[in-house]
Amino acid sequence: MLFSLTVFSQRTISGTIVDSGGDPMIGANVIEQGTSNGTITDLDGAFSLTVSEGAMLDISYTGYADQVIATENVTDFNIILEEGALLDEVVVTALGIERKKRALAYSVTELEGSSLVTAKEINIGNSLAGKVAGVNVSNPATGPGGSTRIVIRGNGNISGNNQPLVVVDGVPINTGNLGAAGMWGGQDWGDGLSSVNADDIETMTVLKGNTAGALYGYRADNGVIVITTKKGSKDGRIGVEFNSNYQVESIIDFYDFQRQYGHGNRGAKPGTEAEAFAQGLSSWGAPLDGSSVLQFDGQSRPYSDAGDNLSRFYGTGATFTNTLGINGGGEGYGFRFSVTDLDNKGIVPNSTVDRKTFTANVNANKGIFFGNISGSFVNDATSNRPRLSDSPGNANYTAWSLPPSININDLRGDADKLGANPDGTELQFNDNVFVTNPWWAAYQFEGNNTKNRLFGNITLGAELLPGLTLTGKAGLDRFNDRRRNLTPYGTAFSTLGGLTESNRELQEVNLEAILRYAGDINPNIGIDVLVGGNQQKNFDETLSVGGGNFNIPFLHTAKNLANQSTGYGFSQFQVNSVFAMAEISLFNSLYVTATGRQDWFSALTDPNGGPSENTVFYPSIGVAYDLVEGLGGSLPSIVDFAKVRASWAEVGGATGPYQLGLNYGIVGQGHLGQPLGSISNGTVPPIGLRPSTNKELELGFDVRLFKGKVNVDFALYNRETTDGILNAGISSTSGFGSKRVNVGKVTNKGVELLVDVEVLRNNNFTWRTSVNFAQNNNEVVSLLTEESDGEEIRLEESRTRNAYIHLVEGQPYSQVMGFAYVRDGSGGIMLDDDGLPLQGELQTFGTGVHPTSIGWQNSFSIGDVGISFLIDAKSGAKIYNATNAYGYFRGLHQATLEGREGGLGTVAAADVQDYYQRIAFGISEEFIQDANFVKLRELIVSYRLPNDLLQGVPFKDISLSFAGRNLALLASSTDNIDPESTYTTGNGQGLEMFGVPVTRSFGLNLSAKF
Amino acid sequence: MKYLKYKILFVFVGMMLFSTSCDDNFAELNTNPTVAIGINPNFQFTFVQLRTSGGRYENWRAGLIYSSMMIQHLAATCGYWTGDKYTFNGGYASSLIDRAYNEQVKDVVDLINTLSTTDVGDATMLGMARIWKVVIFQRLTDLYGDIPYFEAGKGAIDGIDFPTYDSQESIYMDMLNELEQGVAQLGDGGFGGADLIYGGDVDKWRKFGNSMMLRLAMRLSEVDAATAQAWAAKAIAGGIMDSNDDDAFIEHTNGPEGINKNGIGEVLDKANGFGDDCPRLSDTFVDWMNSTGDPRLSIVAVPSANTGEIAGMPNGLDEALLAENPTGTSVDDFSRINPAIVTVSSPMMFMTAAEAQLLSAEAAMRGWHGGDASSHFSDGIALALGSWAHYDPALALDDAAISAYVDANPLDEANAMSQIGWQYWAATFLNEYEAFSNFRRTGFPELTPVDYPGNITNGQIPVRLANNPGEATLNPSWKSAADRQGLGTDFPSHMSVPVWWDK
Repeated sequence: MLFSLTVFSQRTISGTIVDSGGDPMIGANVIEQGTSNGTITDLDGAFSLTVSEGAMLDISYTGYADQVIATENVTDFNIILEEGALLDEVVVTALGIERKKRALAYSVTELEGSSLVTAKEINIGNSLAGKVAGVNVSNPATGPGGSTRIVIRGNGNISGNNQPLVVVDGVPINTGNLGAAGMWGGQDWGDGLSSVNADDIETMTVLKGNTAGALYGYRADNGVIVITTKKGSKDGRIGVEFNSNYQVESIIDFYDFQRQYGHGNRGAKPGTEAEAFAQGLSSWGAPLDGSSVLQFDGQSRPYSDAGDNLSRFYGTGATFTNTLGINGGGEGYGFRFSVTDLDNKGIVPNSTVDRKTFTANVNANKGIFFGNISGSFVNDATSNRPRLSDSPGNANYTAWSLPPSININDLRGDADKLGANPDGTELQFNDNVFVTNPWWAAYQFEGNNTKNRLFGNITLGAELLPGLTLTGKAGLDRFNDRRRNLTPYGTAFSTLGGLTESNRELQEVNLEAILRYAGDINPNIGIDVLVGGNQQKNFDETLSVGGGNFNIPFLHTAKNLANQSTGYGFSQFQVNSVFAMAEISLFNSLYVTATGRQDWFSALTDPNGGPSENTVFYPSIGVAYDLVEGLGGSLPSIVDFAKVRASWAEVGGATGPYQLGLNYGIVGQGHLGQPLGSISNGTVPPIGLRPSTNKELELGFDVRLFKGKVNVDFALYNRETTDGILNAGISSTSGFGSKRVNVGKVTNKGVELLVDVEVLRNNNFTWRTSVNFAQNNNEVVSLLTEESDGEEIRLEESRTRNAYIHLVEGQPYSQVMGFAYVRDGSGGIMLDDDGLPLQGELQTFGTGVHPTSIGWQNSFSIGDVGISFLIDAKSGAKIYNATNAYGYFRGLHQATLEGREGGLGTVAAADVQDYYQRIAFGISEEFIQDANFVKLRELIVSYRLPNDLLQGVPFKDISLSFAGRNLALLASSTDNIDPESTYTTGNGQGLEMFGVPVTRSFGLNLSAKF
Repeated sequence: MKYLKYKILFVFVGMMLFSTSCDDNFAELNTNPTVAIGINPNFQFTFVQLRTSGGRYENWRAGLIYSSMMIQHLAATCGYWTGDKYTFNGGYASSLIDRAYNEQVKDVVDLINTLSTTDVGDATMLGMARIWKVVIFQRLTDLYGDIPYFEAGKGAIDGIDFPTYDSQESIYMDMLNELEQGVAQLGDGGFGGADLIYGGDVDKWRKFGNSMMLRLAMRLSEVDAATAQAWAAKAIAGGIMDSNDDDAFIEHTNGPEGINKNGIGEVLDKANGFGDDCPRLSDTFVDWMNSTGDPRLSIVAVPSANTGEIAGMPNGLDEALLAENPTGTSVDDFSRINPAIVTVSSPMMFMTAAEAQLLSAEAAMRGWHGGDASSHFSDGIALALGSWAHYDPALALDDAAISAYVDANPLDEANAMSQIGWQYWAATFLNEYEAFSNFRRTGFPELTPVDYPGNITNGQIPVRLANNPGEATLNPSWKSAADRQGLGTDFPSHMSVPVWWDK
C-alpha cells in the first residue's frame, strides 16, 4: 500500500481562557499536544479547535504558567491561567550556569537561534546588527569570508581586544581575527566566530556588563556572548529537521562619478598609445565627444561613456545553505546530530566560501551522575580572499577607478586566462605597475585558506546531595589555518611572482571544576553558592615556506621559487583561576549576589625571574529587588513584573606572551656567508606590565505591564578602564614604531533602553514592535601620563598618508584626524602663489565610532503569514572617505568638474587637476564626512503551511520564508561610499579605502520537520 | 555511594589547591623560544651595514624617483616619478626617514651601546660602529635638515619615545667628533669577515673614516668655512682613500631574500623579478658625457630601442609634452640605464676614493691644504672611471682609455669649481643622495630647472626632502624644529627651504 491515510475520529472543542482576576486572555496559545495544530484566543479570550479524540491541549501565554488540559470527556473549557511563569524563567549566564532571570542584577539579552537563521549571514556576528541595545556590530567591507567587529557598551581598551568573549556550551572559543588589511593592503582572513553555525544555536545570550561576566575575570573585559546549542529531547521521539536557505546578493553601487570627461591629461585626449597608457587611470581628459581615441592597448575606441563597469565586473553572489538535523532520546539520554553545508560564491569574481559543519550533542544521566558531550567539527575553505586597501592585487581599487571612457571588459585580455597578455603575463592598462588589472587580480592571484576546527567539551557531574552538584568540564578549541597566498608569475609589480604557504595551529584548552549548592534554608531565605577553578592553556604555532621569483614560468609551487625562505613562530600562555559566587535571596524578592575571581597570568610573569605583578582579583556585587513580590498589592495591577537592579564589578584584561624584554633574532639566511642579527622587537618592551582593570557600575530596571504586552528594560552604566595595555604609537625616530605600556583611563557612560510593545492582537492579526536604543558616551580621559594634558596616540594611518586615527585626551575614542585648509579671517581658503590650496594644521574632526544607535523591529502576523522588518540607525561618527580622495586625484569626483572649462581663480582650465590633486592628498578635511545612516537592515516574510494541508505526508511544520538584508540605505551623509565601509575590524575605526562593495541580499528559506 | 561522593569532593579540593599555587612554571612559559636575549656583535654589524644599503622602498622613492631625477642623472615621463617635475608625493619624499630609524639607526645605536657599556666586543669594533653611524646619519640630515640624532634609536635603551629634533649644526659637529674618535680607536680586533665592506681591514677603515670626515667637512664650506677648513685639513692629514681598493661598497646577491638584494636593482632589474621601465638617462647627463668624450657613457647607458643610438631624454616631460619634443617623441627613442649596473646583485656604493680625491681637489683650490688640486682632480676622475669594475669586470675600462680621458680633461683653474662639481656629480651616479647633497652645496653642476605645471617649487630644483607629516605631527619637538628652520604647516612647501649648510 503506497498511501496509508489513517483517519482518527475528530471533534471540535471550544472554551475561554481568563486570568486569575477573570479578565479574558487575548492571544493565548492553544495547541494540540504533539502536533502543530493550534489556535489563539480572540478578544473575548475564546477559542475553538478541532482535535483528535483524546487529545491533550498545551495552553501557554507569555508571563504565565503553562497548562496541560485533557480534552477527553470535557466539552466546555473554562481555563484560568496563573501568572508567574516568569518567576521560573531561567537564563544561561557566565560559566554556563542557569539562573533565574528575576534574580539577575544586570542586563542580559537573549536571542532565539531561530532569529538568526532566516536572514542568514555567513558570519553569525553580523546577524546581531541592530538587534541588541548596546551591541555595536561593524561589518567591514572585506568580502563574504571576512570577519566582524562586535563591541559591547563602547570601546574601553586603548589597544588590543575590544570584542566580547564567546562561550559555546560553557567553554570559551577563539574568536580572534586571523589577519586584517591595513594601510598597505592585505586581506581579511576571517575570524573565529564564523565557525559557529547559526542552525545549531538554541539561544544566544549577550552579557553586556562587567557584573554579568565577572566570573570570567580577565576575559570579561568586553562583555560575553553565551551560545547554547540545540540538544536532543528525552521524550522518546526521533525528530528530523531540515532547513534550506538560498540567498543571492548583488552590489549596491554608491558611486556617482562624473561621466563627462574621458581619459587624458590637462584637458586633452591622449595622442599616442604611450600617452593613453600613461593616462590609464586619469580622468582629466577632454569632454567626451564620441570621437575615436587611442586607449592603453593601442586600439582606438569611441571617446564616450563606456557604461557601468562595476556591473560588468562584479557578479551576483549566491549562498546556498542546507542543514539536516536529527534529534531524539529516551529515558535518561538525549542526542542531536546535524550537518550543515554552506556554499558561497562571492560578488568578487572567482571568490568562494565552502563550509561544512558537523555537530553532535549527547547528554545522559544515571543516578546522581550526569554528563554531556558536545562539539562541532568545521571545515571551511575560502578561495581568493579579496585584497583590500592599497592597490597591489586589489581588484576593488581598480574596478571603480577607471576613466568613464574605458570599458573594463577591454582589460579582460586572454579569454582563457583573464587579465593576461597572450604571453601569459599581466595585461597592464596603465603605467603604474602597482595598480593591478582587476581581472588579473581576481583570477590569477590566489588568497586561499582552509580551516579545520574542532571545538567542544565534555562535562561530567554528580548531584552529591540534594542541591549540591559537582561538575567538571574539559573544553577544547583547536584549529589549523592553512594558507596559500600567491602573487602569480607575470604580475607587473612582481614579474617573477611570489608565494607564501603557511600552516598555523592554534589551541585552547580549559579545565574547569565547579562545586555548587543551591537550596532554601527556610521559606524566606534561599542560597546559591559555588566555588570553582579553571586552568586555561593556549598555544599558537606557525610554519611557513615561501619566497619570490619562480624559476619555471607559471609553475606556482614553493619548490620552484628561486629565493626560498622559511618561517617559524611559536607562542604559549597559561592562566590559572579560582572563583566563587554567593547569592542570597530573601523573601523571594531581594537577591544579593557576590562573586570573586583570582587570575594568575604567565604572560605577565617576568621570564628572567624578576618581580612581576602577575595576579589580579576581580570582585563583583549585585542587588536585584522584585517589586511585585516585595511590595505585594501596593503596586497597580497593570504591573506584571518589576525589578530594579544595581551592580558593580571590576574585571580586566591581560596581554599576549613574550612582551617583556628586548630580544634579538637571526634575520633571513645571512649575507655572503655572514649571519645577520638584529633586535626582533618592533615595539619597545615595557619595564613592567600590569593587567588592565575595568570597573563598572550598572543600574537598571525591568518592567512588564498589561500582561506582557509592554516590556521595558532600562540600563544605565558607567565603565572606567584604566591601565590599558597599549602599543602606543611613538616617534619612529626612537627606532621603534610603538611602545608597550600601561596607560590611560577611558570611560564609557551610557544608557540602553529596550521597549517592546504588542500593539495589536486579535484572532488573525498581531503586531509587535520593539525599539532598542543605546547611547554610549566615551571619553579618553588620560593617556601616557595621568594628567589630561592633550596627549595623543596614533592608532591607524590611511594609505593616502594624510588621515589618521588618534586617541586624544578629552575626546571620544578613535578620533578621525586630518589636515585642514588654511583659512583667512573670514573662513576663505588660502591659496599659494600658484593658486593652489595650502595644507594647514592636523586636527581632529570627530570620533570614528558611532555613539548612538537605534534598532527598530516590527513583526506582524496575519494568519499563517509573518512579516518582520528591522531598521537600524547609527549616528555621531565620522569617516575618512579615501575613495573621494582618489576620486579627486583621478578626476572622477563630480566636484572636480568645476573649473575644467573656465579655470579656477588663477589656475588655468588645463591645470585645474593640480588644484584638485593638491586637495586629494594634502587636505583631508575635504574627505572627512558624517557616517550617520539609517538602513532597512532586514525584511522577512514567512509562511507556515497549515498542517491540515499536510495530512498524509510525512512532513510537518513546513515554513517558507523570504528574507532580504541590507535592503536600503534610507539616509546617509557620505557620497560614493556606504557609511559602514571600513576595511578593518581593528580598533582604528573611521578609515575607508577600496573595500569590497557593500551588497544587498535576498534569500529564500525552507524549513520542515519529519 | 556515600564513599564515592567524598572521593569526588577530595579530588576537587585537591584540584583547587593545585590551581591556587600554580604560577611556578610561568617564567619558563613566558620565555620566547624563538629569540635570544643577546646577540653576537658581528651578526648585528653585518645586519646594520646591509640595511644601510637599503630596501627597494626608499631606494625607489627617495633615491631614484626624487634624488636621481632632481639632479638630472635620469629622466622620466611617468606621472608618479615626481622628482622629474618637482611635483609632490609626501610618502615618496619621506621614504628614507620613514625607514632608516627603524631599519638602520635602531640596531647601530644598540650595537654601540652594547660595545661601549658591556665587555662584549672590542674598541676597534666600537670605532667601526661609530664611523658607520655617521654614514647613516649624514644622509638623513643632508636630506631632511634638523632630525632626531642624539636621542634617536634609544626607545629601548633609554626609554626615549619622542627624540628631540636636533639642529643640523649640532649634528654635524658631533658626527665630526665621532669620526675623529672612531678612527682613533681603530686597532686590534674588529669585525673581521663580518664587515661586508673591508673584511675588517683596519687600515682601510682609517682611510674611510678620514674620507667621511672630509666629506662632512666640505659640506660646511658655505656655512662655516673656518670649521670646514680645520676638519678638512685634519682628514687629509690622517690619510684619505686613494685607490679603487678603498672604495666602500656592499656586494649584493640575487636573494635568497629581499634583504640580500640591491634595492636599486629591485626596482630596475627586469630579469630578476621587477622592472620599473620609466627612467631613461637624462639628456643633461648624456650630453655632458658626450661633450667631454666620456668613456663611461657606454657603461651607464644602452642604445635606445628605436634608434640604436645612445640618447638622453629631457627632464620635465609628460607623454603629451614628449609628443612635441624635438629630440624624440617616444620614451623608446632614449637610452635606458645599462641593465648590467642595476641588477639585484650589483654593488651599492657609500663612499669612493674618487669622491675623496675630488673633495681634496676642491679643498686644495680653496687653499685649505697644501696638496695639488690638479693631481687630486686627475686622480679623482681616474678613480671614478676605474670604479665601474666593481659592478662587473667586463665593464672595466682599460688604463689607456682612462688616461686618455684624464689627459683630455685637465683642471682649468678658472673653471675649477664647476669642473669638480660636474665630475663629482658623474662619480656619484647611483649614489643619488650624495649627488643631490653635493649639488646643493656647490651649485654645481649648473643644472637648468624644469617648470612643469603643478610643481611645488616655482620651477626651482627642490633643496630638501619633506619629512613625514605623520611623524612630525606626533613628535612634540617637531614644531620648534620647524619654526627654527622656517618650515610652515604646508609640507610641499618645505621642499623649497634650504638646510642649514646650504647657503
